[in-house]
Amino acid sequence: MTTIRRFCCNDLLRFTNVNLDHLTETFNMSFYMTYLARWPDYFHLAQGPGNHIMGYIMGKVEGQGESWHGHVTAVTVAPDYRRQQLAKKLMNLLEDISDNIDKAYFVDLFVRASNAPAIKMYEKLGYVIYRRVLRYYSGEEDGLDMRKALSRDVDKKSVIPLKRPVTPDELEYD
Amino acid sequence: MASKFGFAGGIPERKVRPIWDAIDSRQFKNALKHVTTLLAKHPNSPYVLALKALVLERMGKIDDASAVSLTAKENLFSNDLLSMDDLTLSTLQIVFQRLDRLDLATECYEHACGKFPNKMELMMGLFNCYVREYSFVKQQQTAIKMYKLAGEEKYLLWSVCSIHLQVLCGNGGDKLLVLAEGLLKKHVASHSLHEPEALMVYISILEQQAKFGDALEILSGKLGSLLTINVDKLRMQGRLLALAGDYTAAADIFHKILESCPDDWEGFLHYLGCLLEDGSIWCDEAVNDPVHPPKFVSCKVSHLTDEQFDSRISIASAFIRKLQTDTVDNSVRGPYLATIEIERRRHLRGKGNDNNLMDGIVQYFCRFGHLGCFTSDVEMFFEVFTTDKKAELSEKLMKINDTLSTPPTKTLGLSISLFKIKQQLLLGDMFNSSANDVEVSCVQMFEMYCKNIPLSKDLDPQESMHGEELLSITSNILVQLFWRTKNVGYLVEAVMVLEFGLSIRRYVSQYKILLLHLYCHFGALSVAHEWYKSLDVKNILMESMLHHILPQMLVSPLWTELNSLLKDYLKFMDDHFRESADLTFLAYHHKNYSKIIEFVQFKDRLQRSSQYLVTRVETPILQLKQNADNIEDEEGILQSMKCGVDFLELSNEIGSKSLTFNEDLESRPWWTPTVEKNYLLGPFQGISYCPKEILTKERETSLKREIEKKSLLPRMIYLSIQSASLSIKEHVEVNGSVKPDITLELKLLLERFSQFLGFSLSEAIEVVKGSFSNGERSVVSDSNLIDWLNFTVFLNAWNLSSRELVHPDRNEGRPIIWNILDSLLERYILENVRSMEPQLCSPCSKVQLLMQLVTEPLAWHGLVIQSCLRSCLPSSKKKKKSGSAYQSSSNLAHAITESVQQLSLVLEGVIKQISESNRRPEDENSDGILSLLRKDEHNDGPGRVFHVLETFISSMSNAEVGDRIYHSLKSWSPADVARKMMTGKLKVLTAFSAICESKLKLLQSLKQQIAQV
Repeated sequence: MTTIRRFCCNDLLRFTNVNLDHLTETFNMSFYMTYLARWPDYFHLAQGPGNHIMGYIMGKVEGQGESWHGHVTAVTVAPDYRRQQLAKKLMNLLEDISDNIDKAYFVDLFVRASNAPAIKMYEKLGYVIYRRVLRYYSGEEDGLDMRKALSRDVDKKSVIPLKRPVTPDELEYD
Repeated sequence: MASKFGFAGGIPERKVRPIWDAIDSRQFKNALKHVTTLLAKHPNSPYVLALKALVLERMGKIDDASAVSLTAKENLFSNDLLSMDDLTLSTLQIVFQRLDRLDLATECYEHACGKFPNKMELMMGLFNCYVREYSFVKQQQTAIKMYKLAGEEKYLLWSVCSIHLQVLCGNGGDKLLVLAEGLLKKHVASHSLHEPEALMVYISILEQQAKFGDALEILSGKLGSLLTINVDKLRMQGRLLALAGDYTAAADIFHKILESCPDDWEGFLHYLGCLLEDGSIWCDEAVNDPVHPPKFVSCKVSHLTDEQFDSRISIASAFIRKLQTDTVDNSVRGPYLATIEIERRRHLRGKGNDNNLMDGIVQYFCRFGHLGCFTSDVEMFFEVFTTDKKAELSEKLMKINDTLSTPPTKTLGLSISLFKIKQQLLLGDMFNSSANDVEVSCVQMFEMYCKNIPLSKDLDPQESMHGEELLSITSNILVQLFWRTKNVGYLVEAVMVLEFGLSIRRYVSQYKILLLHLYCHFGALSVAHEWYKSLDVKNILMESMLHHILPQMLVSPLWTELNSLLKDYLKFMDDHFRESADLTFLAYHHKNYSKIIEFVQFKDRLQRSSQYLVTRVETPILQLKQNADNIEDEEGILQSMKCGVDFLELSNEIGSKSLTFNEDLESRPWWTPTVEKNYLLGPFQGISYCPKEILTKERETSLKREIEKKSLLPRMIYLSIQSASLSIKEHVEVNGSVKPDITLELKLLLERFSQFLGFSLSEAIEVVKGSFSNGERSVVSDSNLIDWLNFTVFLNAWNLSSRELVHPDRNEGRPIIWNILDSLLERYILENVRSMEPQLCSPCSKVQLLMQLVTEPLAWHGLVIQSCLRSCLPSSKKKKKSGSAYQSSSNLAHAITESVQQLSLVLEGVIKQISESNRRPEDENSDGILSLLRKDEHNDGPGRVFHVLETFISSMSNAEVGDRIYHSLKSWSPADVARKMMTGKLKVLTAFSAICESKLKLLQSLKQQIAQV
């Protein structure tokens, strides 16, 4: 039971049930507002009956040439609404926008190497581990860069896994 | 920043690069060295001066930075030959912004644009300046100039948005919208539109003028194709049609939306609303607070005839049935909940049938009852039932649950939903049940949790466990049992249940919030604070979550922790206010025009935040409390806050402000639905215990009064110190100069303050003289005691320098008000010390009051005493010359001596009582706590759940619950929890004792000073 709509500033005051989750980061205001100001179509919210916030996705589109891609910065679902495939719906939306509107080559995301449940979920959604990023999270934990090719990448070149891990300063984008 | 080199002011890039590099790498000394060298060659260059100012500002040399930046500006203005390059201007802009002088930056750009009127780069900078200053009119004028110059759609939209801002956030009237519309129309005719956001702005300008038809026409024309997300376009069309009153066409649109997305609940509500020709949902959107939208859709009584109504309802039903059949995805709940909503509408029309509605809910339960969101999905439908019907429905759900055969995780989910329905929605039922029945169901829930732990043994520790909610419900009911019986053991049991749950999985925020409030209730505030910290509440979450801990901390002696809470929150808010405009400009720049208004409105909302305003007042008050034992330090603090003048302004303005409430009250426990309310402190009421009544208007009024009153304090403290010292000087220099303005201002503030007490000044004085009695009747209560005593302190200080009131008897005895104040302080402090209960499981409200008495009125009175003494005791240099001052004001001297003596004794009493509480060994105390839970099998009262808990821990096996959970539970000990509770409480008392001791030390040093005279 999901109405998916654009995220707006006032939602920042309503998403506590989602963000109190320990794996959901509450960013600073300029971070959220930069996303809203630059990529409003990549920041969507799912709302259920009674106007309850169920979850949201935030992302962006960036890169050049064949690296032009959608990026999922955060996707999160409130505890009460888990195990209902909501994250999948939100991911699909972002993939659609990247694919059909912005004509990107792939969508990527970063996940903690220890976050096994999330990795499993992304794999189910068609993402593959493209490369490992050493000590990506606060210089401590490794991150995994996972990717899913979109229709423009006909040969699926963007998702051929790299053989060696990279360091954060080798990353092309923040 | 390093990329901004250029050839500014004729200085080559290679000369400037090292400066920027040093700034970027925060090597400011190095940067200053470079800049000084460069300045020697270009002493008048505004660019180099601006760089120097920037470096100085970053080094913290604000005054120097300010002076240099002003010189840069002067040079820029005085020398026409210098080029007005954007790099110089933008560097100056950065400096001025950091110095909080946006106006000066604007002046620079205005000057530059005056000199070079057609330079787009400079105009962009000027526009940006106006965005930062929220000067919507000037924004508009600049943007339109840019549009005329460049002819770009973007600048037209900047201008249109600036007009829209004048209407929505400024003083501009609706007429301005006609202008905006005209500008757009003309542009569209010649150039069309190219950005989807531009179209959205156009539509919203038309919508706001109620030109729905025009908007629809544009949307369905060529421009409509700009909106690439089809559902967004359809939603827009549907809304416009409904607003235009064309419900049939609107219903068709929402029909389409539902066909493509049958789970779109809002889409369904709009569809049904349009079918029934009920536009209230659109009106609600306009009037409701977007941060607290209603849970229920309010509906108008339909004007349709019965036949029309029936026919529309059957159309809706048929469509929904079709959606149900067509939908293959099992997780789609929308069409099933829709059936219930349709039934509810029938019911509201008076044509409903309770059984049908119940059946709908029962069927929904069979299908989705195992989901965590079941209860919140259906809660709105329970509203239509009477208490009896609610009970009947509960029975039906239980019966059907027994017949459902599902896998264990679903069975668990179904049971949880049933318990939640009983606890949250059928509250009357709970209250009618005997305490014993309630306890039995508590035990059942807890057992169910334990029994189902094995289901989660293979889950990742980061994942939510099955049945987690059972522990929250169990502890909620245990708290209710405490309310009913006042047996504190239930509260301890609730704590144990939650701590047990957190030892199994430490991430459950719901448990942490409940625990935080329970520990607060015990007075173990330091533990509550630890749990709050573990929630990792930061950034914008502080605005919605700080209310869980802040009010308790404000009346606690944990000043260091309180200070960091206040500081972090204010920093977050002030940072946002500072950077918000730059982010708004980013939205302009990226042509996301719809975000511009959103950002400006959001900043405005946060600036009017009730919590922000409270914090702004409480922060200086905390500083004043912390420094009250040293008058010089206190004066330093007062100087830094302009002697309280700014807060007076806040006090004057607050009445006309409309406050916003951004707290997430939903996350609060049932027993304290708002900050102001705590059911546990009152008697048990056999009514629905969580009405969640949020009377925003009432809260706003009382909060405004509170802020208005509190923001008088810094100034009144300042004036009291002045008045006290003035009184001595008066004694010494009989014909000397007096400063009547101090006395007069203090009197005016006393008049204002007395209004908050509900009296005129003269009446309030009489009340004080009667030791807080108005005739026979006492006027004070716990809730206004601090105000009355603060008032008396300030009254006394005023009385010292004023000749208006009955003047202290010049020949004998102590001044009357002073005398009364001392006895009142003594009376109320000792009274509260005596009622500090010996059991440590008692609520902390008495200690809070005691703490306030010592840190507010007593502290402020201490300042008055310090001020008097400082003025009349000879300083070491003038000892011989002016040694007579103390004697010359003999009755005042007498008052001071007596006061110091009396207050010392009072503080000693407080310290003694605290140390007696602290003396008991921890183990003895924690054993006492645990003994509340140990009971014989046949005894009533708390302990049953705890018994199950202990049995479970001792009997669980590794294989059953898995290694991780097994080891966590084996190392968990209830005795540790009891000890933590005790140490937490003691820590608060120890901190309070330290405050008292510091005050006592002050009084002792004053005694010594007096003795040396």
